[in-house]
Amino acid sequence: MEIQEKKLNGTSIIRVEGRLDSKTSPEFEDKISEIIENGTRNIILDFESLGYISSAGLRIILKTAKELKRMEGKLVLCELQDYVREVFEISGFDSFLPIVSTVDDAMEKL
Amino acid sequence: MSKNTFSFTLSNDLSELDTLREKVEKFGTLFGIPDKTIFEINLIVDELFSNIVSCGFRDNGTHWININISRRDGAITIRVEDDGVPFNPKSSQKPDLECPMEERRIGGLGIHLVTELSDKISYYREGDKNILILEKNIPEDSTQLDT
Repeated sequence: MEIQEKKLNGTSIIRVEGRLDSKTSPEFEDKISEIIENGTRNIILDFESLGYISSAGLRIILKTAKELKRMEGKLVLCELQDYVREVFEISGFDSFLPIVSTVDDAMEKL
Repeated sequence: MSKNTFSFTLSNDLSELDTLREKVEKFGTLFGIPDKTIFEINLIVDELFSNIVSCGFRDNGTHWININISRRDGAITIRVEDDGVPFNPKSSQKPDLECPMEERRIGGLGIHLVTELSDKISYYREGDKNILILEKNIPEDSTQLDT
């Protein structure tokens, strides 16, 4: 798994490449914690290159969404591949998480 | 062993998830399984395996988890065998998917995914082993050729 972060007007755009499973999720969790500790309150997850996610990845996303909301920030997801999107739908995560098509759409949701 | 059967054994270490993925993808290629079905089988076995590794053992020793995947006609059967503490996924409580985000809990979500992605699940205990057998139908509109 590869994680790349870039900043745009105070928002962190995090691109995750590869797979988010119980083996790779701790690294993802550490990276997100570091970004929030550095003061970022709005995060966009760009999942264009994410080919796989399990409940271990969903756990970090739920935790992050809750944490940002408490701090009056926001988490938005974009560019999900079909199979990955299905995992979010079966889990009911699409009911509380904004999931949009592109990074530009995500910026508008913030 | 039938030629439509594919077996492998993993140790109780999360680094084995890469081997798991390779094996499931190889099964998909050998038996002409649609990509979406392979993704879902990978997720089912990943969730079960990760659960066994994280919660199944009271000691720090090495344990082996045996996985068998077979194809017959329009369905795939997955058999998972481990010697961990008794665990019947069918008695796992379904997570509340309707509640607000603040009240959402992650517990039970992995097993919920397994249940939703499987068409039939049976569980039994055999000696000191958990035996879990899942069936998954291959979508009929699959355009991939049979082998």
